[in-house]
Amino acid sequence: MWKSFEDAFYLNFIEDDRWKYLTNGLGVTLKITFFAVLIGILLGFTVAIVRNTYQNTGKLKVANAICSLYLTIIRGTPVVVQLMIVYFVIFGSVRIDKSITAILAFGINSGAYQAEIFRSGIQSIPRGQFEAGRSLGFSYHQTMLKIIMPQAIKNVIPTLCNEFITLLKETSVAGYIALEDLTKGGDIIRSRTYSAFMPLIAVALIYLVMVVILEKVVRLIERRLKQNER
Amino acid sequence: MNDKTMNEKMPLIQVKNLYKKFDQKDVLKNISVDINEGDVVCVIGPSGSGKSTFLRCLNRLEEPTGGHILFDGADICDPKTDIDLHRQKMGMVFQQFNLFPHMTILKNLTVAPMSLQKKSQEEAEGYAMQLLERVGLQNRAADYPSQLSGGQQQRIAIVRALCMKPEVMLFDEPTSALDPEMVGEVLNVMRDLAAQKMTMVVVTHEMGFAREVASRVMFLDDGDFLEENAPQEFFENPQNERLRSFLSKVL
Ligand SMILES: Nc1ncnc2c1ncn2[C@@H]1O[C@H](COP(=O)(O)OP(=O)(O)OP(=O)(O)O)[C@@H](O)[C@H]1O
Ligand SMILES: [Mg+2]
Repeated sequence: MWKSFEDAFYLNFIEDDRWKYLTNGLGVTLKITFFAVLIGILLGFTVAIVRNTYQNTGKLKVANAICSLYLTIIRGTPVVVQLMIVYFVIFGSVRIDKSITAILAFGINSGAYQAEIFRSGIQSIPRGQFEAGRSLGFSYHQTMLKIIMPQAIKNVIPTLCNEFITLLKETSVAGYIALEDLTKGGDIIRSRTYSAFMPLIAVALIYLVMVVILEKVVRLIERRLKQNER
Repeated sequence: MNDKTMNEKMPLIQVKNLYKKFDQKDVLKNISVDINEGDVVCVIGPSGSGKSTFLRCLNRLEEPTGGHILFDGADICDPKTDIDLHRQKMGMVFQQFNLFPHMTILKNLTVAPMSLQKKSQEEAEGYAMQLLERVGLQNRAADYPSQLSGGQQQRIAIVRALCMKPEVMLFDEPTSALDPEMVGEVLNVMRDLAAQKMTMVVVTHEMGFAREVASRVMFLDDGDFLEENAPQEFFENPQNERLRSFLSKVL
């Protein structure tokens, strides 16, 4: 029993340095997730501001319409399809690094969800805060910048961290454009060794450990944020 | 202050035919009021009569539907007027304090003077500490609002408005959200302000305060000022029937 486990372990991970598929894949997964979240933050934040400004002041009508369309499309279609469209259609005729394609696709996707996170964060700030800012003489924009945003962002940090965790798992479909992320790495080992159990369980475990650790970190951050102020 | 002589003749705030409609409801019905420098005007009236709406129209937190409000001679209802500039000269204190929870007390007090009046940090903090001392909260400068009691927060909210060196202070039921034992400390600060000749418009249910501190008391009912008078006359010899029945309920 133990012997066969040892053999299987050797075959799947040690022989031909196959473990490198996992570590390299993990690197790719983390890289895509990290930069996609960054793009998502930029996009989501911008969209939230546009939609909120339109709602409060009636300005930015065209931009608001574009943002609504963006949200409808992104949230109404599967991320895999979006990924393939970006890779095969939009960048179909240009040679561009696959991981950049993936970062863009997942970033655009994440932005739509983060927009809602930011927007509800802004709306969770009591109206009195806005009125207090305006009554001191701050303009609409100054009030948003100095009074509303800092509180809203603080409120959404834990939710944004959760979005990172979600995205970390979602990027596992990157193999659809033959990008060698963690999942694909495990799959490559499987196709070399013809054994599914070891590589796939290893992949699952790596995701699981990362998610559990990240969730701990989120809870820590949450507690820290609650500690000061409020 | 070379236009002081002019100000003494002209009211600080002139409200002319102020009309405000929410949806289909007339909330303020062509109100006209003058508020002079140094006045302490207390506005009383039943719930829903439009007191908050009136006060909030004065600094245009509520957009008037019609009429004019002249402040320092400028029509602040004119869309061309820079309302932000005028709001700097009109302090406002809310029922719910509305301190900024993500800033320390000192930051709450200095953020507006520093960014709007281009005060240096030393200058803004120096003045803030001076005012904090006057309300007895100088040792709380580094705390966050949530660490303070309601009464303390409201005193800070008053100081925050004062840090802008306003020409008039607007109060919307500043003690209504407070536990009874904290009402006094806030009223004391307001009393102090009145004694220093600050122009004040105070929406309040504190009849004792109105009687003692106000220079004029006004009764707002159903969107209209039905009676106004010096406090003694107002409370001891009310003319209007509705005011009489209101006073009999609250006194
Ligand atoms: N934003 C709004 N939209 C619609 N109606 C409003 C709005 N604000 C106030 N009203 C209505 O206007 C009327 C006057 O309200 P206001 O808040 O000025 O009364 P108030 O005298 O301050 O009452 P209270 O003593 O309860 O604070 C009320 O009938 C209220 O329902
Ligand atoms: Mg009110």
